[in-house]
Amino acid sequence: MKKSVSILLVLLALVTPLFATGATEAKDAGPITIWAWDPNFNISIMNEAISRYQANNPEATFEVVELAKADVEQKLHTNLASRTTQGLPDIVLIEDYNVQKYLTSYPGQFADLTSSFNYNDFVGYKADVMKLDGKYYGVPFDSGVSGLFYRTDLLEKAGFVPKDLENITWNRLADISKEYKAKTGEYFLANGKDDGGLFRIMLQSAGSWYFDNKGQPDLIGNAALKEAMQIYKRFVVEDLALPTNGWTEWVSAFNSGKVASVTTGVWIIGSIKAAEDQSGLWAVAPTPRLSTAASVNASNLGGSSWFVLQNGASKDKAIAFLKEVYGSDKDFYQTILVNNGAIGSYMPAFKGDAFAKKDAFFGNRAIFADLSKWASMVPKVNVGQYTYEADAAVMGVMEDFYTGKTSIDQTVEAAQKQLVNTIQ
Amino acid sequence: MAHEKQLNRTGWFFILPSSILLLFFIVYPIFYSFYLSFTSTRGIVSQFVGFKNYVRMFGDPMFFLALKNTFTLLLIQVPIMLVLSITFAAVLNNKKVRFRGFFRTAIFLPAVTSLIAYSILFKMLFSYDGLINNTLLSLSIIDSPLQWMTTPKLATFVLILAMIWRWTGYNMIFYLSAMQNISEDLYEAASIDGASKVRTFFTITIPLLKPIILFTTVMSTIGTLQLFDEPMNLSQGGTTSSMVGPDNVFLTLSVYIYNICFKYTPNFGYAATVSYAILLIIALLTFVQFTLSRDKEEVMRRRIEKETKKMVKEGLR
Repeated sequence: MKKSVSILLVLLALVTPLFATGATEAKDAGPITIWAWDPNFNISIMNEAISRYQANNPEATFEVVELAKADVEQKLHTNLASRTTQGLPDIVLIEDYNVQKYLTSYPGQFADLTSSFNYNDFVGYKADVMKLDGKYYGVPFDSGVSGLFYRTDLLEKAGFVPKDLENITWNRLADISKEYKAKTGEYFLANGKDDGGLFRIMLQSAGSWYFDNKGQPDLIGNAALKEAMQIYKRFVVEDLALPTNGWTEWVSAFNSGKVASVTTGVWIIGSIKAAEDQSGLWAVAPTPRLSTAASVNASNLGGSSWFVLQNGASKDKAIAFLKEVYGSDKDFYQTILVNNGAIGSYMPAFKGDAFAKKDAFFGNRAIFADLSKWASMVPKVNVGQYTYEADAAVMGVMEDFYTGKTSIDQTVEAAQKQLVNTIQ
Repeated sequence: MAHEKQLNRTGWFFILPSSILLLFFIVYPIFYSFYLSFTSTRGIVSQFVGFKNYVRMFGDPMFFLALKNTFTLLLIQVPIMLVLSITFAAVLNNKKVRFRGFFRTAIFLPAVTSLIAYSILFKMLFSYDGLINNTLLSLSIIDSPLQWMTTPKLATFVLILAMIWRWTGYNMIFYLSAMQNISEDLYEAASIDGASKVRTFFTITIPLLKPIILFTTVMSTIGTLQLFDEPMNLSQGGTTSSMVGPDNVFLTLSVYIYNICFKYTPNFGYAATVSYAILLIIALLTFVQFTLSRDKEEVMRRRIEKETKKMVKEGLR
């Protein structure tokens, strides 16, 4: 009996410090903790920012935690939902499509940065994403400005010239893909038929989204959406796109030279350059547009921004850091452009030398001058907080549309019904 | 009497730590999630909505799709897997088979691999330019690569195949150990009576395995209804993609719950509602399975009683 009591006491003594250390750590404003994903892009850029900041502020310490994107989201949700302030970082990276979801789901948990930054300096559609009730809650980071990246050598072999890809429509691109496939027996592009990425590029180029400006589902009667659906159907029914399943297969499709192009956000450049043997063979054309009148040859896919947690131990230090580097250091943006191919959203930095630099991998073209020009042309859309719900609702009914089981109007109605049910 | 009291107190003392843990980590969450299922939440913004979540669930096409997908798997995968396990077990229980130890280990081995690892392995094998397509192409069985992971029916087939590969050996071990507990005398007696191998298998082995068959059926049913790792990893990109597998065929109930919590605007209330739906379905199915097996037992007992009476009567005559 006595023995078991003492064993229990020993166990208790062993366990208590585990809880105790957790508590003291949060009170002592230690390093600025940062959560982000992608070691080659976000993490590497953040480390560059830190080393710049530490050069002027040697006393500042940082702890950068690298997690998978899904893990960052899951950890953030569980921590915030449990209402604990411990275990949360000071700075966290959030994908633009998810920003409003976090802001409205966890009110008061993210620091209001309206007075800390001059939001007119940032690209308009990026700043809009983090605006809620007239206040800004984040620091706009990378732009997902899109382009039609293609292989000049493969294009030439099929009898096309680069000019054929300049400022075209998606239907024209489908025609080109068809001719290309007839001549070479290969696919011009790769696309997962249930991947909403290209779909969102098409929508945003027309200044359209799954929702109207008031945040209400806007599928029925959305001309841009219907056109995008028909183009997706062309890709599938006419077999114009190499079917890929997931990121890895999609990337390997152009890395291995199986497809001649990829239309996506600028952040793909790092992955394109991974195939070193293709150096000098790549070029970039403006994103194709929809035939809807409002559509332009510029769009955006993804991109993310930095947020500061309201209850973090090092909140003020974190804001000061972000302000000094992301909110004013033009040279920093030049460096990450050269090193990581990252186009920031800070417009004063768009004029630097790095943007005019010719890239040998892209046949000595000044691709960043083009991309940053397109970035300022991207139409603003209200992405709202339900992008993934809408994506799932639309892609979920596409299979019936592909097989011809449902007409376009029936498909859109089914998607709208699903979406309305999901977001209630 | 005093000694007994003392014993009781010591007993309670010993189960106290696990009881407290149980209370906090099992009992409390069960009741709390039941309460949650009557609220609609958006992160930390929560409101009590009564039965609205349950009404919503019955009008939610995505929920019914998840239910349909889960039941398709349950009805196809579980029977195939259990029949295979029992067949393997019967073959490997035969003392005349050589290298029994090797085969046993080989068939059981998939059960120790990580769920994530084997899902990714199957995804690689069946990718557009994966090993399976290349092999079939080089053997001229197919003319062009099959789109395994992007065609709804083929993707379901791959998922079922993967699960059978992973879980057959696991269930086989249960059958094997149960078979080894069946007394040799029974088989000896049967063979003296001139019963064939097939006959002994169906009239001795299977009836005596009944509790284990029930157990594996119930466990597999529960496992399939909670299926998460395989569909999540076989589908593209997990949380970033728009669908879970082609035409959402990998959207199981658990994956749907995950999506409600982490992919969409987090509605833990509605997620709790869906998880209570799973609980009810499992409870119902388990009840049905138990009833079915009990009925058979009773029928059997009555038949034996009847036969004995008849025999006794005949003997008396």
